[in-house]
Amino acid sequence: MNDFDQFLRDTLGPQDRHPDRLFVARVQAQVRLDERLSARRRAIGLRLLRDSLGVAAIAAGLVVLAESPAVSELAAGSPEIFVAGLLAAFGSVVLLFSNPGRSSPFAAD
Amino acid sequence: MPQRNEEDLALSRRAARGDHVAFALLVEKYEAPLRSFLARMGAGDLADDIAQEAFIKAWRAAGQYDGRARYSTWLTRIAWRCRLDQLRRQRPVENDEPAGQGGIEDEVQDMLARLGDGERAALVLCEGHGWTHSEAAELLSLPLGTLKSTVARAKSKCREMWSQQ
Repeated sequence: MNDFDQFLRDTLGPQDRHPDRLFVARVQAQVRLDERLSARRRAIGLRLLRDSLGVAAIAAGLVVLAESPAVSELAAGSPEIFVAGLLAAFGSVVLLFSNPGRSSPFAAD
Repeated sequence: MPQRNEEDLALSRRAARGDHVAFALLVEKYEAPLRSFLARMGAGDLADDIAQEAFIKAWRAAGQYDGRARYSTWLTRIAWRCRLDQLRRQRPVENDEPAGQGGIEDEVQDMLARLGDGERAALVLCEGHGWTHSEAAELLSLPLGTLKSTVARAKSKCREMWSQQ
């Protein structure tokens, strides 16, 4: 090996040193943060799916109800009671999905 | 499979199952060569950030390491992609070469700065880190023959600069 090859090997190669504990700790902290964020992303996705299914189920129930003869008669005969019922149902849905008691994925650990 | 690969494969599999201690051992083993490589690639102050990003990606993909290549090769491939992404995000006018400390270190960085990214990576890996031409060719997505001529060209340019100093 000539001088130039030795020079390249000496200067381009990694230094022989002990592991940098501070760097390792920083990576570990990032890994833990990454895990927490992944868990939150999963929780948000699951909650979105669950809420969407809930809304779809309520909507389907309302459609079935609206198509029944008794409800059609009520809507035709007493529209104000029908609208009040719809508003009450809508209010219940809003309350259900905005309940502060539900765990939030954004809550601090 | 070489014994070293087997050890790293075992650690990587443990990391894939969520073992932080196993992953910390891999970080301890490979942070020095990886950071050295990135610094030589002209990443400057960003070298540590890119290395950190590469380790996070390695953690997420720990289950994908199959032990066929050396762990350092697999990890450096991830870091190289991070570096290329960083270069794409960077504005062309920005100069990321670190301010020199003087002496031989400055001369080496100056010499490397005059090479293209591919030439620099090929030279550092093959001449400095002891990679085989095949490993470097795979990393840089180059045919083996092209990689060999890239290393020879980079070496020739550096020799010329070195002899002028």
